[in-house]
Amino acid sequence: MAMLEVNGLRKVYPGFTLQDLSFSVEPGTVMGLIGRNGAGKTTTLKALLNLIRTDGGEIRYFGLPLQAHEKEIKQRIGYACGAVDYYPRRKIADLLAVTRRFYPQWDDALCSRYLRAFSIDPGKTPRELSEGMRVKLNLVPALSHHAELLLLDEPTSGLDPVSRAELLDVFAFLRERGVAILYSTHITSDLEKCADAITYLHQGCLRASAPMAEFLASQAAAGFGTTLEEIMVNREKEDLHETFGA
Amino acid sequence: MKHLVHKELRLAVIPLTWCFLLAGFLVLVPGYPILISAFFICLGIFYSFQQGRETNDVLYTLLLPVRKRDVAAARFLTVCIVQGCGFLLITLLTILRMTVLSQAEVYRSNPLMNPSPVFLALTLLIFAAFNVCFLGGFFKTAYQIGKPFLAFSAVTLLLVFAGEALQHLPGLGFLQTPQGERLGLQCLCLAAGAVLYAAATVLACRRAMKRMEQIDF
Repeated sequence: MAMLEVNGLRKVYPGFTLQDLSFSVEPGTVMGLIGRNGAGKTTTLKALLNLIRTDGGEIRYFGLPLQAHEKEIKQRIGYACGAVDYYPRRKIADLLAVTRRFYPQWDDALCSRYLRAFSIDPGKTPRELSEGMRVKLNLVPALSHHAELLLLDEPTSGLDPVSRAELLDVFAFLRERGVAILYSTHITSDLEKCADAITYLHQGCLRASAPMAEFLASQAAAGFGTTLEEIMVNREKEDLHETFGA
Repeated sequence: MKHLVHKELRLAVIPLTWCFLLAGFLVLVPGYPILISAFFICLGIFYSFQQGRETNDVLYTLLLPVRKRDVAAARFLTVCIVQGCGFLLITLLTILRMTVLSQAEVYRSNPLMNPSPVFLALTLLIFAAFNVCFLGGFFKTAYQIGKPFLAFSAVTLLLVFAGEALQHLPGLGFLQTPQGERLGLQCLCLAAGAVLYAAATVLACRRAMKRMEQIDF
Protein backbone atom coordinates (compact mmCIF):
# COMPACT_ATOMS: atom_id res chain seq x y z
CA MET A 1 0.00 0.00 0.00
CA ALA A 2 1.29 3.45 -0.95
CA MET A 3 2.13 5.84 1.89
CA LEU A 4 0.68 8.69 -0.13
CA GLU A 5 -1.60 8.63 -3.15
CA VAL A 6 -2.59 11.80 -4.97
CA ASN A 7 -5.21 11.47 -7.68
CA GLY A 8 -6.33 14.31 -9.94
CA LEU A 9 -5.42 17.04 -7.44
CA ARG A 10 -6.63 20.42 -8.61
CA LYS A 11 -6.35 23.88 -7.09
CA VAL A 12 -7.42 27.04 -8.86
CA TYR A 13 -6.03 30.44 -7.93
CA PRO A 14 -6.55 33.61 -9.94
CA GLY A 15 -3.67 33.39 -12.44
CA PHE A 16 -2.49 29.91 -11.49
CA THR A 17 -3.97 26.45 -11.62
CA LEU A 18 -2.58 23.23 -10.28
CA GLN A 19 -4.05 20.72 -12.69
CA ASP A 20 -4.91 17.07 -12.31
CA LEU A 21 -1.83 16.15 -10.32
CA SER A 22 -1.42 12.43 -9.68
CA PHE A 23 1.46 10.55 -8.12
CA SER A 24 2.17 8.15 -5.29
CA VAL A 25 4.94 7.63 -2.74
CA GLU A 26 5.82 4.08 -1.76
CA PRO A 27 7.19 2.95 1.63
CA GLY A 28 10.96 3.25 2.01
CA THR A 29 11.39 5.55 -0.95
CA VAL A 30 12.47 9.15 -1.42
CA MET A 31 10.55 11.15 -3.99
CA GLY A 32 11.91 14.48 -5.19
CA LEU A 33 9.44 17.15 -6.17
CA ILE A 34 11.08 19.44 -8.69
CA GLY A 35 10.10 22.37 -10.84
CA ARG A 36 11.10 25.98 -11.24
CA ASN A 37 9.77 28.76 -8.99
CA GLY A 38 6.02 29.04 -9.31
CA ALA A 39 5.61 25.55 -10.77
CA GLY A 40 3.28 24.50 -7.95
CA LYS A 41 5.54 22.60 -5.54
CA THR A 42 4.60 24.57 -2.44
CA THR A 43 0.94 24.61 -3.46
CA THR A 44 1.12 20.83 -3.74
CA LEU A 45 2.68 20.47 -0.29
CA LYS A 46 0.14 22.88 1.20
CA ALA A 47 -2.67 20.82 -0.30
CA LEU A 48 -1.08 17.65 1.10
CA LEU A 49 -1.12 19.26 4.56
CA ASN A 50 -4.68 20.55 4.13
CA LEU A 51 -3.47 24.12 4.52
CA ILE A 52 -5.41 25.05 1.39
CA ARG A 53 -8.77 23.92 0.02
CA THR A 54 -8.55 21.83 -3.09
CA ASP A 55 -10.90 22.20 -6.03
CA GLY A 56 -10.79 18.58 -7.02
CA GLY A 57 -9.00 15.29 -6.69
CA GLU A 58 -8.25 13.04 -3.78
CA ILE A 59 -5.39 12.76 -1.29
CA ARG A 60 -4.97 9.49 0.63
CA TYR A 61 -2.36 8.63 3.23
CA PHE A 62 -1.93 5.00 4.25
CA GLY A 63 -5.15 4.33 2.30
CA LEU A 64 -7.10 6.89 4.37
CA PRO A 65 -8.63 10.04 2.85
CA LEU A 66 -7.01 13.20 4.27
CA GLN A 67 -10.21 15.16 4.82
CA ALA A 68 -11.83 12.51 7.01
CA HIS A 69 -8.69 11.45 8.92
CA GLU A 70 -6.65 14.64 9.11
CA LYS A 71 -5.65 14.34 12.77
CA GLU A 72 -4.68 10.64 12.69
CA ILE A 73 -2.78 11.11 9.44
CA LYS A 74 -0.84 14.13 10.73
CA GLN A 75 0.21 12.12 13.77
CA ARG A 76 1.81 9.57 11.43
CA ILE A 77 3.59 12.02 9.15
CA GLY A 78 6.24 14.67 9.68
CA TYR A 79 6.58 17.91 7.81
CA ALA A 80 8.98 20.79 7.67
CA CYS A 81 8.71 23.84 5.46
CA GLY A 82 12.03 25.66 5.36
CA ALA A 83 13.25 27.36 8.51
CA VAL A 84 11.33 27.79 11.77
CA ASP A 85 9.58 31.15 11.50
CA TYR A 86 7.16 30.85 14.40
CA TYR A 87 7.57 31.94 18.01
CA PRO A 88 11.07 33.33 17.39
CA ARG A 89 11.42 34.54 20.99
CA ARG A 90 10.25 31.41 22.80
CA LYS A 91 12.73 28.88 24.09
CA ILE A 92 13.12 25.86 21.83
CA ALA A 93 12.59 23.61 24.86
CA ASP A 94 9.19 25.27 25.47
CA LEU A 95 8.17 24.87 21.83
CA LEU A 96 9.14 21.20 21.84
CA ALA A 97 7.38 20.63 25.18
CA VAL A 98 4.14 21.91 23.66
CA THR A 99 4.60 20.13 20.33
CA ARG A 100 5.36 16.72 21.85
CA ARG A 101 1.93 16.51 23.51
CA PHE A 102 0.25 16.22 20.11
CA TYR A 103 2.13 13.07 19.12
CA PRO A 104 1.40 9.78 20.93
CA GLN A 105 4.53 8.30 19.35
CA TRP A 106 6.83 11.16 20.42
CA ASP A 107 10.25 9.89 21.49
CA ASP A 108 12.08 12.22 23.89
CA ALA A 109 15.34 10.30 23.56
CA LEU A 110 15.17 10.54 19.78
CA CYS A 111 14.40 14.26 20.00
CA SER A 112 17.43 14.83 22.26
CA ARG A 113 19.56 12.80 19.86
CA TYR A 114 18.57 14.96 16.89
CA LEU A 115 19.09 18.15 18.92
CA ARG A 116 22.59 16.96 19.76
CA ALA A 117 23.27 15.77 16.21
CA PHE A 118 22.20 19.15 14.83
CA SER A 119 24.06 21.02 17.61
CA ILE A 120 20.91 22.83 18.71
CA ASP A 121 20.77 24.16 22.27
CA PRO A 122 17.16 23.79 23.50
CA GLY A 123 17.78 26.66 25.92
CA LYS A 124 18.08 29.08 23.00
CA THR A 125 15.31 30.79 21.06
CA PRO A 126 14.86 30.34 17.27
CA ARG A 127 15.87 33.96 16.66
CA GLU A 128 19.27 33.20 18.19
CA LEU A 129 19.91 30.56 15.51
CA SER A 130 21.21 31.08 12.01
CA GLU A 131 18.92 30.42 9.02
CA GLY A 132 20.52 27.02 8.45
CA MET A 133 20.15 26.05 12.10
CA ARG A 134 16.48 27.05 12.00
CA VAL A 135 16.02 24.74 9.02
CA LYS A 136 17.52 21.94 11.12
CA LEU A 137 15.33 22.92 14.06
CA ASN A 138 12.25 22.60 11.88
CA LEU A 139 13.25 19.03 11.12
CA VAL A 140 13.55 17.99 14.78
CA PRO A 141 9.81 17.65 15.56
CA ALA A 142 9.27 16.05 12.15
CA LEU A 143 11.86 13.39 12.99
CA SER A 144 11.06 12.85 16.68
CA HIS A 145 7.74 11.02 16.55
CA HIS A 146 8.63 8.03 14.37
CA ALA A 147 6.85 9.44 11.34
CA GLU A 148 6.18 6.96 8.56
CA LEU A 149 6.22 9.65 5.88
CA LEU A 150 8.07 12.97 5.78
CA LEU A 151 6.93 15.94 3.70
CA LEU A 152 9.75 18.42 3.38
CA ASP A 153 9.83 21.72 1.55
CA GLU A 154 13.38 22.82 0.75
CA PRO A 155 14.88 20.93 3.71
CA THR A 156 18.47 21.44 2.62
CA SER A 157 18.33 25.05 1.47
CA GLY A 158 20.39 27.34 3.68
CA LEU A 159 22.47 24.45 4.99
CA ASP A 160 26.22 24.22 4.56
CA PRO A 161 27.59 21.28 2.51
CA VAL A 162 28.49 19.28 5.65
CA SER A 163 25.03 19.70 7.17
CA ARG A 164 23.42 18.81 3.84
CA ALA A 165 25.48 15.67 3.66
CA GLU A 166 24.52 14.81 7.26
CA LEU A 167 20.87 15.32 6.48
CA LEU A 168 21.07 13.14 3.40
CA ASP A 169 22.61 10.45 5.61
CA VAL A 170 19.64 10.80 7.98
CA PHE A 171 17.29 10.40 5.02
CA ALA A 172 19.14 7.28 3.90
CA PHE A 173 18.96 5.88 7.45
CA LEU A 174 15.21 6.56 7.63
CA ARG A 175 14.60 5.11 4.19
CA GLU A 176 16.28 1.86 5.21
CA ARG A 177 13.74 1.65 8.05
CA GLY A 178 10.81 1.99 5.66
CA VAL A 179 10.15 5.72 6.07
CA ALA A 180 9.01 7.42 2.88
CA ILE A 181 10.11 10.96 2.09
CA LEU A 182 8.63 13.48 -0.32
CA TYR A 183 10.63 16.62 -0.66
CA SER A 184 10.79 19.58 -2.88
CA THR A 185 14.10 21.25 -3.55
CA HIS A 186 15.99 23.40 -5.98
CA ILE A 187 19.23 21.64 -5.09
CA THR A 188 18.86 18.86 -7.62
CA SER A 189 22.27 17.41 -6.84
CA ASP A 190 20.90 16.36 -3.43
CA LEU A 191 18.11 14.47 -5.15
CA GLU A 192 20.55 12.67 -7.40
CA LYS A 193 22.22 11.33 -4.25
CA CYS A 194 19.12 10.08 -2.50
CA ALA A 195 15.90 10.14 -4.56
CA ASP A 196 14.29 6.96 -5.84
CA ALA A 197 11.66 8.78 -7.87
CA ILE A 198 11.01 12.21 -9.34
CA THR A 199 7.85 14.21 -9.79
CA TYR A 200 8.41 17.13 -12.10
CA LEU A 201 5.96 20.03 -12.17
CA HIS A 202 5.74 22.74 -14.79
CA GLN A 203 3.30 25.67 -14.56
CA GLY A 204 0.96 23.68 -12.33
CA CYS A 205 0.95 20.62 -14.56
CA LEU A 206 2.54 17.26 -13.99
CA ARG A 207 5.34 16.85 -16.52
CA ALA A 208 6.55 13.50 -15.25
CA SER A 209 6.36 11.24 -12.24
CA ALA A 210 8.57 8.19 -12.52
CA PRO A 211 11.34 6.19 -10.85
CA MET A 212 14.61 8.10 -10.99
CA ALA A 213 16.38 5.77 -13.45
CA GLU A 214 13.39 5.71 -15.78
CA PHE A 215 13.01 9.49 -15.58
CA LEU A 216 16.69 10.13 -16.33
CA ALA A 217 16.72 7.63 -19.20
CA SER A 218 13.61 9.04 -20.86
CA GLN A 219 14.85 12.63 -20.58
CA ALA A 220 18.30 11.69 -21.86
CA ALA A 221 16.71 9.89 -24.82
CA ALA A 222 14.72 13.03 -25.60
CA GLY A 223 17.96 15.01 -25.58
CA PHE A 224 17.37 17.09 -22.46
CA GLY A 225 20.55 15.99 -20.67
CA THR A 226 21.73 13.44 -18.19
CA THR A 227 21.48 15.25 -14.84
CA LEU A 228 18.41 16.66 -13.13
CA GLU A 229 19.77 20.19 -13.39
CA GLU A 230 20.44 19.86 -17.13
CA ILE A 231 17.02 18.34 -17.69
CA MET A 232 15.22 21.11 -15.78
CA VAL A 233 17.18 23.91 -17.39
CA ASN A 234 16.84 22.54 -20.92
CA ARG A 235 13.14 21.79 -20.63
CA GLU A 236 12.35 25.17 -19.10
CA LYS A 237 14.47 26.89 -21.78
CA GLU A 238 12.58 25.05 -24.48
CA ASP A 239 9.30 26.34 -23.06
CA LEU A 240 10.71 29.85 -22.95
CA HIS A 241 11.75 29.60 -26.60
CA GLU A 242 8.29 28.34 -27.57
CA THR A 243 6.67 31.20 -25.66
CA PHE A 244 8.77 33.92 -27.27
CA GLY A 245 9.25 32.17 -30.62
CA ALA A 246 13.04 32.43 -30.33
CA MET B 1 -8.73 19.83 22.20
CA LYS B 2 -7.07 19.55 25.61
CA HIS B 3 -3.62 19.80 24.03
CA LEU B 4 -4.68 22.69 21.83
CA VAL B 5 -5.99 24.69 24.79
CA HIS B 6 -2.76 23.90 26.65
CA LYS B 7 -0.81 25.19 23.65
CA GLU B 8 -2.94 28.35 23.56
CA LEU B 9 -2.43 29.04 27.26
CA ARG B 10 1.30 28.26 27.20
CA LEU B 11 2.28 29.94 23.94
CA ALA B 12 -0.47 32.10 22.48
CA VAL B 13 -1.80 33.95 25.53
CA ILE B 14 0.81 36.53 26.47
CA PRO B 15 1.35 37.68 30.09
CA LEU B 16 -0.02 41.12 29.19
CA THR B 17 -3.43 39.52 28.61
CA TRP B 18 -3.49 38.25 32.19
CA CYS B 19 -2.28 41.67 33.43
CA PHE B 20 -5.25 43.31 31.73
CA LEU B 21 -7.56 41.24 33.93
CA LEU B 22 -6.58 43.69 36.68
CA ALA B 23 -8.82 46.17 34.83
CA GLY B 24 -11.57 44.40 36.75
CA PHE B 25 -10.53 46.53 39.74
CA LEU B 26 -11.95 49.57 37.90
CA VAL B 27 -15.23 48.39 39.44
CA LEU B 28 -13.94 49.89 42.69
CA VAL B 29 -13.24 53.34 41.20
CA PRO B 30 -15.92 55.81 42.30
CA GLY B 31 -17.77 57.72 39.57
CA TYR B 32 -16.23 55.67 36.79
CA PRO B 33 -18.09 54.05 33.86
CA ILE B 34 -17.35 50.58 35.21
CA LEU B 35 -18.48 48.73 32.06
CA ILE B 36 -15.21 49.87 30.51
CA SER B 37 -13.47 47.23 32.64
CA ALA B 38 -14.90 44.53 30.33
CA PHE B 39 -13.55 46.41 27.33
CA PHE B 40 -10.05 46.51 28.84
CA ILE B 41 -10.14 42.77 29.53
CA CYS B 42 -11.00 42.21 25.85
CA LEU B 43 -8.25 44.63 24.85
CA GLY B 44 -5.81 42.38 26.73
CA ILE B 45 -7.01 39.40 24.70
CA PHE B 46 -6.62 41.45 21.52
CA TYR B 47 -2.93 41.93 22.33
CA SER B 48 -2.45 38.15 22.34
CA PHE B 49 -3.95 37.98 18.84
CA GLN B 50 -1.66 40.79 17.73
CA GLN B 51 1.34 38.93 19.11
CA GLY B 52 0.06 35.69 17.56
CA ARG B 53 0.02 37.27 14.14
CA GLU B 54 3.62 38.38 14.53
CA THR B 55 4.73 34.94 15.69
CA ASN B 56 2.88 32.97 12.98
CA ASP B 57 0.88 31.21 15.67
CA VAL B 58 -1.89 30.00 13.36
CA LEU B 59 0.53 28.41 10.91
CA TYR B 60 2.42 26.69 13.74
CA THR B 61 -0.86 25.34 15.08
CA LEU B 62 -2.09 24.17 11.69
CA LEU B 63 1.07 22.16 11.18
CA LEU B 64 0.33 20.20 14.36
CA PRO B 65 -1.81 17.08 14.06
CA VAL B 66 -5.12 18.86 14.52
CA ARG B 67 -8.17 19.53 12.41
CA LYS B 68 -8.44 23.05 11.04
CA ARG B 69 -11.84 23.57 12.65
CA ASP B 70 -10.44 22.61 16.06
CA VAL B 71 -7.93 25.47 15.88
CA ALA B 72 -10.84 27.93 15.88
CA ALA B 73 -12.69 26.04 18.61
CA ALA B 74 -9.63 25.98 20.88
CA ARG B 75 -9.11 29.70 20.40
CA PHE B 76 -12.74 30.39 21.38
CA LEU B 77 -12.39 28.14 24.42
CA THR B 78 -9.21 29.92 25.49
CA VAL B 79 -10.82 33.34 25.13
CA CYS B 80 -13.75 32.08 27.23
CA ILE B 81 -11.31 30.94 29.92
CA VAL B 82 -9.68 34.38 30.05
CA GLN B 83 -13.08 36.09 30.02
CA GLY B 84 -14.24 33.69 32.73
CA CYS B 85 -11.31 34.71 34.97
CA GLY B 86 -12.09 38.37 34.34
CA PHE B 87 -15.78 37.82 35.01
CA LEU B 88 -15.02 36.00 38.26
CA LEU B 89 -12.91 38.92 39.48
CA ILE B 90 -15.55 41.46 38.46
CA THR B 91 -18.28 39.41 40.15
CA LEU B 92 -16.32 39.20 43.42
CA LEU B 93 -15.70 42.95 43.37
CA THR B 94 -19.36 43.60 42.53
CA ILE B 95 -20.43 41.52 45.54
CA LEU B 96 -17.90 43.43 47.66
CA ARG B 97 -19.37 46.78 46.58
CA MET B 98 -22.94 45.57 47.03
CA THR B 99 -22.26 44.31 50.57
CA VAL B 100 -19.23 45.37 52.62
CA LEU B 101 -18.69 48.63 50.74
CA SER B 102 -22.36 49.47 50.20
CA GLN B 103 -22.33 52.23 52.81
CA ALA B 104 -18.94 53.66 51.86
CA GLU B 105 -19.07 57.43 51.54
CA VAL B 106 -17.27 57.51 48.17
CA TYR B 107 -19.97 55.41 46.49
CA ARG B 108 -22.99 57.22 48.02
CA SER B 109 -23.79 59.55 45.13
CA ASN B 110 -22.96 57.90 41.84
CA PRO B 111 -24.68 59.21 38.71
CA LEU B 112 -23.19 56.36 36.67
CA MET B 113 -23.92 52.66 36.79
CA ASN B 114 -23.49 50.87 40.11
CA PRO B 115 -22.07 47.34 40.28
CA SER B 116 -25.08 45.03 40.27
CA PRO B 117 -26.33 41.86 38.54
CA VAL B 118 -27.47 44.09 35.66
CA PHE B 119 -23.93 45.42 35.36
CA LEU B 120 -22.68 41.83 35.27
CA ALA B 121 -25.21 41.03 32.53
CA LEU B 122 -23.94 43.97 30.46
CA THR B 123 -20.36 42.81 31.09
CA LEU B 124 -21.31 39.44 29.59
CA LEU B 125 -22.88 41.20 26.61
CA ILE B 126 -19.60 43.07 25.99
CA PHE B 127 -17.73 39.74 26.15
CA ALA B 128 -20.29 38.28 23.74
CA ALA B 129 -19.76 41.25 21.40
CA PHE B 130 -16.03 40.53 21.46
CA ASN B 131 -16.59 36.89 20.59
CA VAL B 132 -18.99 37.71 17.75
CA CYS B 133 -17.38 40.84 16.30
CA PHE B 134 -13.70 40.29 16.97
CA LEU B 135 -13.26 36.51 17.02
CA GLY B 136 -15.90 36.04 14.31
CA GLY B 137 -14.22 38.71 12.19
CA PHE B 138 -10.73 37.36 12.81
CA PHE B 139 -11.65 33.90 11.57
CA LYS B 140 -12.78 35.28 8.21
CA THR B 141 -9.08 35.50 7.34
CA ALA B 142 -7.24 34.18 10.43
CA TYR B 143 -5.07 37.25 9.90
CA GLN B 144 -6.94 40.57 10.05
CA ILE B 145 -7.46 41.98 13.52
CA GLY B 146 -7.89 45.74 12.95
CA LYS B 147 -11.38 45.87 11.44
CA PRO B 148 -12.84 43.22 13.76
CA PHE B 149 -11.53 45.10 16.80
CA LEU B 150 -12.93 48.38 15.47
CA ALA B 151 -16.34 46.70 15.06
CA PHE B 152 -16.14 45.35 18.61
CA SER B 153 -15.16 48.78 19.96
CA ALA B 154 -18.13 50.42 18.25
CA VAL B 155 -20.57 47.85 19.68
CA THR B 156 -18.99 48.20 23.14
CA LEU B 157 -19.37 51.97 23.00
CA LEU B 158 -23.08 51.53 22.22
CA LEU B 159 -23.49 49.01 25.06
CA VAL B 160 -21.75 51.31 27.56
CA PHE B 161 -23.87 54.28 26.50
CA ALA B 162 -27.02 52.16 26.57
CA GLY B 163 -26.13 50.73 29.99
CA GLU B 164 -25.57 54.19 31.42
CA ALA B 165 -28.60 55.76 29.74
CA LEU B 166 -31.29 53.10 30.18
CA GLN B 167 -31.38 53.43 33.97
CA HIS B 168 -32.54 57.03 33.59
CA LEU B 169 -35.53 56.11 31.41
CA PRO B 170 -38.95 55.88 33.06
CA GLY B 171 -39.69 52.36 34.30
CA LEU B 172 -36.08 51.22 34.05
CA GLY B 173 -34.88 52.67 37.34
CA PHE B 174 -34.47 49.15 38.73
CA LEU B 175 -31.33 48.86 36.59
CA GLN B 176 -29.53 51.28 38.92
CA THR B 177 -31.05 50.53 42.33
CA PRO B 178 -28.20 50.24 44.80
CA GLN B 179 -27.60 47.74 47.59
CA GLY B 180 -29.56 44.85 46.22
CA GLU B 181 -33.04 46.36 45.76
CA ARG B 182 -35.11 44.55 43.10
CA LEU B 183 -32.48 41.84 43.26
CA GLY B 184 -34.78 39.17 41.75
CA LEU B 185 -35.41 41.21 38.62
CA GLN B 186 -31.75 42.09 38.35
CA CYS B 187 -30.74 38.44 38.66
CA LEU B 188 -33.18 37.63 35.89
CA CYS B 189 -31.32 40.16 33.71
CA LEU B 190 -28.03 38.45 34.64
CA ALA B 191 -29.42 35.04 33.67
CA ALA B 192 -30.60 36.49 30.33
CA GLY B 193 -27.12 37.98 29.82
CA ALA B 194 -25.52 34.61 30.53
CA VAL B 195 -27.82 32.86 28.06
CA LEU B 196 -27.11 35.49 25.41
CA TYR B 197 -23.36 35.21 26.01
CA ALA B 198 -23.42 31.43 25.69
CA ALA B 199 -25.67 31.43 22.61
CA ALA B 200 -23.72 34.18 20.82
CA THR B 201 -20.38 32.52 21.60
CA VAL B 202 -21.48 29.06 20.47
CA LEU B 203 -22.95 30.42 17.23
CA ALA B 204 -19.88 32.56 16.51
CA CYS B 205 -17.62 29.59 17.26
CA ARG B 206 -19.52 27.26 14.91
CA ARG B 207 -19.35 29.85 12.16
CA ALA B 208 -15.62 30.39 12.74
CA MET B 209 -14.99 26.63 12.61
CA LYS B 210 -16.71 26.46 9.21
CA ARG B 211 -14.84 29.51 7.95
CA MET B 212 -11.54 28.11 9.13
CA GLU B 213 -12.02 25.16 6.78
CA GLN B 214 -12.43 27.55 3.85
CA ILE B 215 -9.29 29.65 4.42
CA ASP B 216 -6.24 29.06 2.26
CA PHE B 217 -3.03 29.40 4.27
